[in-house]
Amino acid sequence: MKYMIMTFGSAEAGLAAMGRDWMLEMVKFMHGLDKDLRESGELVDTQGLADGSQAKTVRFEHGIPVPTDGPFAEAKESLVGYWIVDVESEQRAIEIASRIVAYVKQPIEVRRVMDAPPDF
Amino acid sequence: MQSNIEDLLRELAPQVLGALVRRYGQFDACEDAMQEALLAAARQWPKEGTPDNPRSWLVTVASRRLVDDWRSEEARRRREETAASLELPRAQGLASDRDDTLTLLFLCCHPSLTVPSQLALTLRAVGGLTTAEIASAFLVPESTMAQRISRAKDRIKAGGAQFTLPPASERGERLRVVLQVLYLIFNEGYTTSSGPELNRADLTAEAIRLARMLHQLVPEEGEGAGLLALMLLTDARRAARTTADGSIVPLDEQDRSLWNSSQIEEGVAILTRTLGKAPVGPYQMQAAIAAVHDEAPSAQETDWPQILALYEVLERVSPGPVVTLNRAVALAMVNGPRAGLALLGTLDDDERMAHSHRLEAVRGHLLERAGELAAARVSYRKAARMTASIPEQRYLALKAARLA
Repeated sequence: MKYMIMTFGSAEAGLAAMGRDWMLEMVKFMHGLDKDLRESGELVDTQGLADGSQAKTVRFEHGIPVPTDGPFAEAKESLVGYWIVDVESEQRAIEIASRIVAYVKQPIEVRRVMDAPPDF
Repeated sequence: MQSNIEDLLRELAPQVLGALVRRYGQFDACEDAMQEALLAAARQWPKEGTPDNPRSWLVTVASRRLVDDWRSEEARRRREETAASLELPRAQGLASDRDDTLTLLFLCCHPSLTVPSQLALTLRAVGGLTTAEIASAFLVPESTMAQRISRAKDRIKAGGAQFTLPPASERGERLRVVLQVLYLIFNEGYTTSSGPELNRADLTAEAIRLARMLHQLVPEEGEGAGLLALMLLTDARRAARTTADGSIVPLDEQDRSLWNSSQIEEGVAILTRTLGKAPVGPYQMQAAIAAVHDEAPSAQETDWPQILALYEVLERVSPGPVVTLNRAVALAMVNGPRAGLALLGTLDDDERMAHSHRLEAVRGHLLERAGELAAARVSYRKAARMTASIPEQRYLALKAARLA
């Protein structure tokens, strides 16, 4: 079963608050985590997103799509990055998320990816 | 052995495809058949040995596939529908492998295709890479890449493109597109625009191979030579550009003993042969600038006045905000950071730079050199927020953190 593990916040605020050593630790941790998940055959995809301040939000207003600058959510609730893992159980997904949260110190969301027929 | 066969197959791929299209028309079907023949060769040759005439082996196998395909009922109908999709002027006389490969390049870089399609089709039809290999190089699912390639082929068919060299009146412009496609493939490999890996060496090597091939096909084209030199001189620094964990090492901090000296030598030799003999163009100028960096024994000994002069020429032949930005760096090295910052200021209202992190990154660097640490930090952080490259974001955020 597949799960999406998502981190939220502002990468930049995190960097500003935590400082240089934390950053270097974090880089090492992320490399290690990706390597582990790749080697265990559980990693489907992982991506980091560009900062939310660079985002555009497109709304449907008065019958026309209207793009505006900035993310939809508050900066602290904006999606920073995700992992999609294919694991044996929800428990295993939570275990991975627990490893991440110990570093990120921001809440992590773990959500089941819905099954779809292969040639949808 | 295995990699020798692979090299040979890649080299023969465009020649085989050229021969097939010349004989049967139908670029799309021939391209599929060529790929199947390459796969068959990759399976059989390591076991059974390379045939005496590998090129004709591939043409024969691919032809058999085509004929088999056409024999089947459904395919016949398909063929009737698409007949004359790519009619060839028969017996063109002196058509050679050389012309075929060049014609293929022009076809794959046809201006009616989108840029991502041009890149993908060039890598497949001219480079002989499989769809799976191209997909993994661009970090997209294989089915996405297969679709992109198949749409590109449909588009070529629908456009009624001919398998002939473009007329002399269009040649310059068409060649410019081919050079741009090869340069984009190189850049995609060298600095990925996004994602965790800074280098994707395979695409870089493939771009260099194709640029080398193009240079051999049209040695008289100065910009073709310039592009090959630029790639060689840039890629020569690859080993020094990143640390083991993928962090960026800026040019002035790189361990120059890790630079590839034979590649530098080759790039400089090509450039020396070319400069002054052909009309000057942006690739030659950028290669000349790269050569000045590569030939400096240390960052301190870099000939910045020379680089500044070259950027001034580049700005004349190919003006643009990115060139101005780079000239500001050179100007700062020659006349001090204030002079550089003043030139950067002229870009503040340039719409084309509004979404680029590079302006702020360079400003941070020059402010730091001018001793304005607080302002430098603001610029670095702004740049870190704007970039879409993870290693670059990390690099800029660390720069900011160091000044805190």
